Amino acid sequence: MVNFKINGREVSVDADPDTPLLWAIRDEIGLTGTKFGCGIGMCGACTVHVGGQATRSCITLLGDVEGADVTTIEGLDANDNHPVQEAWRNLRVPQCGYCQSGQIMQAAALLTDIPDPSDDDIDAVMTGNLCRCMTYPRIRQAVRDAASANRGQTQNG
Amino acid sequence: MAKNKILSRLGVGIPATALSRREFLISMTAAGVAFGFPRDAMAAMDPQAADGMPIEAVGDRFEPTMWYWIDTEGRVNVNIIRAEMGQHVGTAIARILADELDVSWDDVRITHVDSAEKWGTMVTGGSWSVWQSWPVYRQAGAAGRTALIEAAAAQWGVDPATCTARDGTVTGGGKSITYAELVKAGINRSFTEDELAALSLKSHSDLRLVGKDVTALDIGNKINGKTIYGLDAKIDGMVYGIPMLPPTRLGSSVASVDDSAAKDIKGYLQTLTLDDPSGTVPGWVVVLGETLFAAKSAADLISVEWNAGETAVVSEADIQARSRELIADAASGAILPTETPDTTQAFQDAADTLEAEYTTATVLHFQMEPLNATVFRNADGIWETHAGNQWQSLILPTLSAALEVEPDKIVMRSYMLGGGFGRRLNGDYIVPAALASKQLDGKPVKLVFMREHDVQFDSVRSPSVQRLRMAFDADNQVIGMNHDAAAGWPTGVMAPSFMPKGVNDQPYDVFAIDGADHWYSVGAHKVRAIENELANQTFRPGWLRSVGPGWTNFAVESFMDEAAAKVGVDPLEFRLKHLIAEGYNAGTAPDSVGGASRQAAVLERVAQMSGYGSADLPADTAIGIATTFGQSRQMPTWTAGAVQVHVDRETGTVEVQKMWLAFDCGTVVDPDSARAQCEGAALWGLSMALYEGTEFENGNVRDLNLGGYTPLRMIDTPPMEIEFIDSTEVPVGLGEPGTTVVAPAIANAIQAAVGVRLRHLPMRPDDVLAALKA
Amino acid sequence: MFKKICLGILAIAAIGAVGFGVYAYKPAMQPITAADHATFPPEQVEKGRVLAGAGYCATCHTAKGGEPYAGNYAMETGFGTIYATNLTPDMETGIGAYSQEAFRRAMHEGVARDGRHLFPAFPYDHFTKMSDEDVDAIYAFIMSEVAPVRSVQKENELPFPLNLRFLQAGWKMLFVDFGQYETVTDKSPEWNRGAYLAEGVTHCGACHTPRNILGAEKSGEQYAGAEIDRWQAPALTAANASAVPWNAAEFREYLVKGSSTYHGIAAGPMGPVVHAGVRELPDNDLTAISVYLADKVGGDGLDPADSDIVRASLERNAPDRRYRQAEGERLYTTACAACHYNAQQIRAGRPDLGINSSVNQDDPSNLIQVILYGVTSHQGTKGVVMPGFRQALSDDQVAQIAAYLRADRAQKPAWENLREEVTQLRARGPGSH
Ligand code: FES
Ligand code: FES
Repeated sequence: MVNFKINGREVSVDADPDTPLLWAIRDEIGLTGTKFGCGIGMCGACTVHVGGQATRSCITLLGDVEGADVTTIEGLDANDNHPVQEAWRNLRVPQCGYCQSGQIMQAAALLTDIPDPSDDDIDAVMTGNLCRCMTYPRIRQAVRDAASANRGQTQNG
Repeated sequence: MAKNKILSRLGVGIPATALSRREFLISMTAAGVAFGFPRDAMAAMDPQAADGMPIEAVGDRFEPTMWYWIDTEGRVNVNIIRAEMGQHVGTAIARILADELDVSWDDVRITHVDSAEKWGTMVTGGSWSVWQSWPVYRQAGAAGRTALIEAAAAQWGVDPATCTARDGTVTGGGKSITYAELVKAGINRSFTEDELAALSLKSHSDLRLVGKDVTALDIGNKINGKTIYGLDAKIDGMVYGIPMLPPTRLGSSVASVDDSAAKDIKGYLQTLTLDDPSGTVPGWVVVLGETLFAAKSAADLISVEWNAGETAVVSEADIQARSRELIADAASGAILPTETPDTTQAFQDAADTLEAEYTTATVLHFQMEPLNATVFRNADGIWETHAGNQWQSLILPTLSAALEVEPDKIVMRSYMLGGGFGRRLNGDYIVPAALASKQLDGKPVKLVFMREHDVQFDSVRSPSVQRLRMAFDADNQVIGMNHDAAAGWPTGVMAPSFMPKGVNDQPYDVFAIDGADHWYSVGAHKVRAIENELANQTFRPGWLRSVGPGWTNFAVESFMDEAAAKVGVDPLEFRLKHLIAEGYNAGTAPDSVGGASRQAAVLERVAQMSGYGSADLPADTAIGIATTFGQSRQMPTWTAGAVQVHVDRETGTVEVQKMWLAFDCGTVVDPDSARAQCEGAALWGLSMALYEGTEFENGNVRDLNLGGYTPLRMIDTPPMEIEFIDSTEVPVGLGEPGTTVVAPAIANAIQAAVGVRLRHLPMRPDDVLAALKA
Repeated sequence: MFKKICLGILAIAAIGAVGFGVYAYKPAMQPITAADHATFPPEQVEKGRVLAGAGYCATCHTAKGGEPYAGNYAMETGFGTIYATNLTPDMETGIGAYSQEAFRRAMHEGVARDGRHLFPAFPYDHFTKMSDEDVDAIYAFIMSEVAPVRSVQKENELPFPLNLRFLQAGWKMLFVDFGQYETVTDKSPEWNRGAYLAEGVTHCGACHTPRNILGAEKSGEQYAGAEIDRWQAPALTAANASAVPWNAAEFREYLVKGSSTYHGIAAGPMGPVVHAGVRELPDNDLTAISVYLADKVGGDGLDPADSDIVRASLERNAPDRRYRQAEGERLYTTACAACHYNAQQIRAGRPDLGINSSVNQDDPSNLIQVILYGVTSHQGTKGVVMPGFRQALSDDQVAQIAAYLRADRAQKPAWENLREEVTQLRARGPGSH
């Protein structure tokens, strides 16, 4: 039994602690917004937040998150209005959409760490997330937009 | 099932060749027998709904054609037979209808339908969706509008001609009434095919949704994780399966299976050796578990011995050598019906000739969602497949053979696709799930391919060899051209009956030669398409984004630059000189009005945009250009690209600094998605030009995952400028054309920057270095 | 973490057997009964809980998956496996029969209540420095808070003659400096407090001081760094290989959070030291240890953020579009940079690998371990996880990433036999930390 929090809710998952966190989230907990792409930590489709940090859940073992706080795309914002999601919606970033949960989770974490990223920062951090539809130009712009939305908020508030 | 019945389901999908587009349209509008599957609702998908369930009509519904209904609340539900894989295809198609029907976009919902026979051919590929849907959905919309106006006019006792419709309301004689009210009052009107054809459509200037940006109906759920892809399918009581793949795609059989080491894995169920009457997955083994992890952990411990098929040692070099052999054999292949396919005289008369060989490496789809399918037999005895798929009509007969039931006992529920790019045109991955379920008497089996499985038996873009020759007269004028292209043939393998015949009566795969039959006037022009049977035996060649034109144009457009250099003319000028809208290249209505002149126009536009020829660039930096007609002569999307590169002579690295693209796709239906498709397609082109590519080694591709396969990523993404020519012509496809110009433009830019000509894709730094040293 | 603490006894042969027998003999102490168990003031119990944490008592006295303090944690020593004793107050199998005096003797002299010499896997060579008051607090805690568990200690798997306990006495005579901590007068009270804790209850030297062939800490080489369980416990002296010198603030951050911005994280054997251990100590004690360690390391006390080394390393973070040229760099850019990239400053939680200790030290094992096995939520920064790449990357790929980091990011001489190291560490498995 592995205990941790997911999207603010305490869960106990009765599965082999060596199960990849991704499969536990998708199949045991039933949150399928997090996606499987490569299974080797090189596409980012499975990105969730663990302790606030973007983490590739496909190679993270369930047992390793004991006691941690996990957030998935479903829990990023109660109304799907995280500034990153808003920017994504406004720019119509997704094509097939499959990589986008991971992109959004990675971008949200990026903006926590580097609130005002340069294009180099965006490139360096987002390069771990593959988008086979090649929505990269829009992702880049959406991250910039989300950052400036955040800035606006800080200035106003 | 009778063979011709199968063919009738398949045949209409190939407008370019086997059947005309007109026949296709008839097939689409013909109100076939509606198969009401018992679980009809469960077999369709609304991408806007959090649970995927299509909306139910409130009260009566008015259904003037099978493509949509309107309910008593005025909501319009549009049926979409295309797969959604990132094109926002439902949004584009529903908008065509909503515009003609004249309803508010807020009232529109879409349903991606099941595979019932009434829908006719279901295929999503070739960048055809908008092009093919345009006339059909316009007619359907106009039918509804006409019926609603007639009903209102009848109520008011006025002449329908005095009434107008706008935003879901009919107005006339000082009165107005909503569509919802009309539907509530009861309306029953359907249209014969002749009536449909006679309907008058809005004039281009009256279109209010086409060409404008509207909310894409699939996007909301793609930013909150709610979109349901095949991998998210969940069926009560399902078990998970993991495939174990034989050493060769064809001809392998299982010698023995030993699962003793896996017995202790908690949740491991059993291992099935598939018995496949359809012959699709010879030698496949499926390991079943209560959880995916159980199945995977068990599979890691199970040992299977196979008798390998004949291609177990085939290498990329073997395949390419075979292509060269075939090209050298003048008797091989099909000769395309170009205007003057006999070039013998031209080459005999030539004062000079130019010849070059171009090769491309194997390319993977690597769509982000690994292959998967969930299959079971429902309580009504119907087999349900739950998966994303691009060509339901192609795989249904195969599933029928595998399951040994009539096709009408199978329904395919269409999930959203985590990327298609042509991989899911080949529905082979559904077969093993179906067989496993069949072996378990219909129990739901969710078969999940690990990425490595997905790649190992990907339907790759075949490696290719092309030989191009050009004949010049004494004045350096082009008098003839030969283009020989050899590769594995996707259509040859998977749908051979759709191959048209060449002038020498040999069939050919249009998807393995489109692009070579270009719009340049070069005198006599012979195009020979050659099927590499060794490739076909080693893997299942696939249709991969832009298919043939993705590599034929690399050759054509590189060669145009080489030819220009040979005669000492600027490449832009050389091309324009040969893009003459006359004869064979004049174009025909409605799809290719203007012909080569429109291609010349996009080329000039991109030259302007990029500053080609006038930009003052640093050393080892240059702009290269290329132009194509997208996918095929039947549906040309006039495309031009320019790419600025800087070549690092030390490392051989090609830095792509900027890309410019210009398109003439006729009417732009969905501007934002059009742009998105072109961005994605162009970056695919870049990825395959410089970064992507693998090779066959011992019968399989060498790179099975991202550790070795290295597609374009964010950091590799250059700035881009994209423009569309204003046009009111027929809308043609945009999913792929952007892909076709990038590689040759880069090759041409490299040549211009550092003076070396690269003739193999991908162009890797080592190749650049080697060429610089040579 | 104490697996590799060796047992040395062979020197006994050099000692006159009779005299030695007298020296070695320790009497049994009177057992107490359950009725004798005192009740202790809550403050004392609480203090004991904190100290027991800081001494990682539970870490070594709890078997994998077993009851806390019930013993039988297996320590693989270089000489064989020994099993930790049951520390619960169970009357028969635990220390329920220990009087306070017996417990003090055990802690200060390494002798069990019944007079047996304890193996120095139990670090009485450090605990001897603790005050009676602190030892009594631990006793109070165990007797009042730890639930008694019946659990018989397994037979140690030591070959003859190493299994002869009385011979341990000789080892003690040779190597242990018994006696409580003595204040160093020319150092501040804070420093002395830190030294008292670090040399005593937290026994830092047990891992960070190299041992002689008999398994005793080398007296002249305190904190010179050592290998523990195929991890490197880095030097806590001027020899520390960090790119940026440690200072008290960095040590403090490390001890409080399990990670320091400019050095690295508490992974491997160090994970429980922080998270199941010293973090329990009150704030001023952690500061005191940090002051003491900073002095030992001899850092410059400057803010690393201003250091040229840090700035240079940040510049090397800049994404390079030619990243595909070298396999290691390509893999790093693809699989690592999302978490490890830093821009204008190094952010906590985004370890900069150019200055990270694991990349800068002479031995690559810490880096390889972390790449292969990751960092769980109980190691490093609590609640944060780094996934292990053992199933994602081949030995070759891990080696290439390590080589890239070493050469291009840390700009240090190449590690030798990297690939073999990876293969070995992979074959060995993740260990029990
Ligand atoms: S699925 Fe986890 S990184 Fe690709
Ligand atoms: S949107 Fe399709 S993979 Fe990114």
